[in-house]
Amino acid sequence: MDLRYLISQMPKFMDALELTVGIGFFGMALAVIWGLALIGPRMSSRSWIRTPVIAYIELVRNTPLLLQVYVVYFGLPIFGILISGFFCGVIGLASQHGAFLAEIYRGGIEAVSKHQREAGKALGMTQLQSMRLVILPQALIKIAPLMSNQLVLLIKDTAVVSAIGVMELTLAAKVTIERSAATMEVFVLIAILYLILTSSLGLVARGLETWQRKRSSR
Amino acid sequence: MLDVFFANLPYLLKGMLITIEFAFGGIVVGTLLGVGLGILAVVFPSVVGKLIAVYVFVIRGIPVLVWMFMGYTGLGALISDFMAVLIVLILYTSAFVAEIARGAILSVHHGQIESAKSVGMRWPLMLRLVILPQAINISLPALVNNSIMIIKATAYVSVVGVWELSYAAREVVERTLAALDVFLGVMMMYFVICYPLAIIANRLEKRFAFQH
Repeated sequence: MDLRYLISQMPKFMDALELTVGIGFFGMALAVIWGLALIGPRMSSRSWIRTPVIAYIELVRNTPLLLQVYVVYFGLPIFGILISGFFCGVIGLASQHGAFLAEIYRGGIEAVSKHQREAGKALGMTQLQSMRLVILPQALIKIAPLMSNQLVLLIKDTAVVSAIGVMELTLAAKVTIERSAATMEVFVLIAILYLILTSSLGLVARGLETWQRKRSSR
Repeated sequence: MLDVFFANLPYLLKGMLITIEFAFGGIVVGTLLGVGLGILAVVFPSVVGKLIAVYVFVIRGIPVLVWMFMGYTGLGALISDFMAVLIVLILYTSAFVAEIARGAILSVHHGQIESAKSVGMRWPLMLRLVILPQAINISLPALVNNSIMIIKATAYVSVVGVWELSYAAREVVERTLAALDVFLGVMMMYFVICYPLAIIANRLEKRFAFQH
C-alpha cells in the first residue's frame, strides 16, 4: 500500500467528505421537514387533496433516485431555474426520502390508539395540540428505528450526486483511482469514511431512542 | 408532451430488458445467498455468525454506487462488465437479505424451537418443518420491499458505464435534448416494474399483521 500517496491526497478527500456530509445534512433536515409537511395532505379526508399527494409519494418511492436527480438537474434549467449540482442532490434526496418518511410518520400516527386521540379531544385540546402533545410523542417512539434506518439510507444515497459531477467522496475516489491506479488504497479510505458516517448516525439514533424511551416512561 | 419519449420507446424498451435482467439476477441469486447466510448466522452464532455480521455491516454501510465502481474496476478486467456489476448487485442484495432472514428466524417464538428440540429434532429438520415456514411469512413483506430497493439500485449501473435503461435514457437525452420528456417517461418505466411489487408488499404486510 502506498500510504504516502494517500496522505498527499488527503486534503482533496477532506473537501469531498465535507461535501458528502453537507449534502447528507441538508438532505436529512429537508427530508424530515418535507415528510412532516406531506402527512397533513396525505391523511386529509378530502380525496382531491389526498390523491395527488399519494400519487407523488408512490411515484418517488418507486422510481430510482438517479432518475429523479436527473429530472431536477436537467429538467429545471428548461424552466430557466439554474441551481448547483449540490442543491439538485439535496432536493432529490429530500424529495424521495421525505416521501418515505411521510409514510413512516403515517404508520406511527395510525399505530397510536384511537382512544388517545379521543381522550385529547375530551380534555378540550385542539387538533394541533393533541397532535403535538399526545400523538406525536407516542408515534415518535414507535417509528424511531424506522426513521434512523431511512436516514442511514439517505446518507448512502448522497453518492448519487457523483453522477451529476459534484466532487463528493464517491466521485473523488473515482477520479483519484483513474489518475493513479491506487484502487485498493483509495477504496479502503472511502470505505472507512462511509462506514464511520453511517454507523455513527446509527449510534446517535440509537442513543436518542433510548433517551426518548426513558424520558417518556417516567 | 411525451412524444420524444414515445418516438424512442423501442430503444428504451431494449434497455428496460437489460434492467430487468439485472434486477432478476440480482434479486433471485442475492436473496437465495442472503437466506443461506441468515440461516448460517443463526445456526452457528459464534464464529460464522460474527463473520457474517461483519460482512453485512461492511456491505450495508457503504453506498452501492461505491461497490459498483469497485466491482467495475476490480473485476472488470477479468469478466465482462455486465457480470462484474451483476455480482455487486448479488452481494449487495445478499447482505440486506441476510439481516432480514436472521431477524425473521429469531422472531419465530422460542417456544416453537424448544418444543421442536424436545421432540428430538436437529437443526436441519427443525429449520425445514418448524422455523422456515413461519419465518418466510414474517419476512415476505421485507423481502419484497428489499427487491424494490434493488430494482431502483440497478440504475446506478449506468453511472459506472454499463448499458441499461438509465444509460439508454441518457443517450436519448444527449441526442434529442428533451431531458424532461425522456427522464419522466423512463421514470414511469421503472414505476411500472416497482409499483406492483409495492402493492404486493403492502397486501402481505396487512395479511400477516392480523396473525400476530
